[in-house]
Amino acid sequence: MNTTTHPVGPEDLMALLDGELASAEARAVSEHLEQCVECAGIVEQFRGVSQAMSGWSVPDAPSSLEEAVRVRAARAASTAKDAKPVRSIRVSLWNWRLWAIGGGGAVAAALVVMTVALSLTLPSRKMVYVNQPSRQAEMGTAEIANSATPPPPPVVGSSVDRIVSQQQVAGFAMRGEAVQSAAKLAPGGVAVAGGQFHPRDSHPLAATSAAPMIARTVSLTILVKDFAGSRASLDAILARHQGYSAQLNVNTPEGMPRSLHGSLRIPSAELGSTLAELKALGRVQNESQAGEEVTRQHADLVARLKNSRETEARLQAILQQRTGKIEDVLQVEEEIARVRGEIENMESDQLALEHRVVFATVDLQLSEEYKAQLNSPDSSAFTRMHNAFVAGMQNAAGTVLGIVLFFEEYGPVLLIWTVILGLPVFLVWRRYRRMNAGD
Amino acid sequence: MVAFARGSADAFSVLFLRYKQPLFGFFRRRLADPSQAEELTQETFLAVLRASARYEACALFRTYLYAIGFRILRAHRRKTAFRAAFLGAQIEGHEPGMESSVSSDVVVRQAVGKLEPLDGEILMLREFEQLSYAEIAEVLALPVNTVRSRLFRARMALHDLLAAPAVKRHADGLAESEGRA
Repeated sequence: MNTTTHPVGPEDLMALLDGELASAEARAVSEHLEQCVECAGIVEQFRGVSQAMSGWSVPDAPSSLEEAVRVRAARAASTAKDAKPVRSIRVSLWNWRLWAIGGGGAVAAALVVMTVALSLTLPSRKMVYVNQPSRQAEMGTAEIANSATPPPPPVVGSSVDRIVSQQQVAGFAMRGEAVQSAAKLAPGGVAVAGGQFHPRDSHPLAATSAAPMIARTVSLTILVKDFAGSRASLDAILARHQGYSAQLNVNTPEGMPRSLHGSLRIPSAELGSTLAELKALGRVQNESQAGEEVTRQHADLVARLKNSRETEARLQAILQQRTGKIEDVLQVEEEIARVRGEIENMESDQLALEHRVVFATVDLQLSEEYKAQLNSPDSSAFTRMHNAFVAGMQNAAGTVLGIVLFFEEYGPVLLIWTVILGLPVFLVWRRYRRMNAGD
Repeated sequence: MVAFARGSADAFSVLFLRYKQPLFGFFRRRLADPSQAEELTQETFLAVLRASARYEACALFRTYLYAIGFRILRAHRRKTAFRAAFLGAQIEGHEPGMESSVSSDVVVRQAVGKLEPLDGEILMLREFEQLSYAEIAEVLALPVNTVRSRLFRARMALHDLLAAPAVKRHADGLAESEGRA
């Protein structure tokens, strides 16, 4: 059957039988059907199929069907009526529970946070006390010395290191009373302690055999209002107390607070008064002091130096008094040179150690209390829009690039996992579909 | 249905009486278990009841009814397939209407069962539920042309399937008579 001999297709014949054709089309197909035996045969086939299928009868619906539907409908209606208030109660209960659970959770979270914060804070309470800008730290040394604050608890033992550490921890490092009490506890008096250094000899280290030698280190962070004035005052303070700055960095960024960081060397005798003047520059944000006892180290160095000098003297005597082979003379000279080198090294170490004791180190951090300028020139709206657009484009490009990089980096792995996981799922789905179709 | 949607209980009775047998037949021809056919018929009417407030008269009620019925049937088949796939339950055989054990019925039933599922569904909706092509397209969410071409294909395939057993029976009869001679 082709369209050249049959102007109507077999589907049209079927549609004619089913009454699915428009009247004009149906008329044309009917006219063709009257003339075409082949098409009439096809129509007969369709009729035969329909006739065969009409023989597939089903029994009548059970009489209980109507009653069952009515009962179930009534039950559903009553359930819906009953469920309505319950639902509203549920909603209100849910809201109440929601609030209760939410509130309880928030309280529990707050308690946990507080507990953790307390547990973290308690062991370091002393350190925090040191680091906090306390009122005592803000006050001048003279004020503190004259205040009626009781001295710190007495420290048993002769270790000045422990005393100084206690002063540091308790925040009394700047207090003259504390320093004096430490001096009393130290046997023979303290030669170097805080700002109360009293040299017994013209050389500050003349009494090292009896007094401990302590290298002091102080760290100060001060917030100043007038940065330029403070900078000038700092130079004046250093000049007044014969100190110097070993290192000094000044940052003056635009539109941001200026800052100064310096490592100052202050004579130990002047440390107390210098610190008092430095603190007067502004508000102390952080202060910490430390003292390292180098007495034993210095004594050891002095003893070794003495021995080396004596050895050198003996070798010199040998060289001058004895005569012998050239080789022996050369060997003695080599030994003298070696000992001389050791002596010079030890002398430089001794000088450095004594310098650390004589000059305390002050790490000073000056920060400006910055106030934004009212007349700071703002960018124009167009410039800001332009910048925002450029930033947006850059962000978009970055996002696209990130996505591409992600798929480049993880795409193969994702593909492998998709195949590994997708294959069983596909098989199960196909089996399920076949079963569904077979039903 | 419009009257029923407005709250008329009598309207539902009229609808129920008019469609209970066609709907029961719809399920009965597609399910092996008569009790399940009855159960799904009930569920379909209950679904109509529940959705009556939302009913909009944009299509014939029978289209609406069979669309709901078809969804319920599809959900039932899905559940059955799931149970069979994962819980090891028995799949229902495609042998509805066992009590009507007339030989011609069995032949037709088996022949329809051999068709492609969608083709068989379209053919049954046309022959038994007397739905138009457009209604079938709406119930099955298919284009009308697809319905028409698949229906044609199903009819031709069913014709061949019904003709083959007849030839076979005729051949079997000839062989038997020759054996007697």
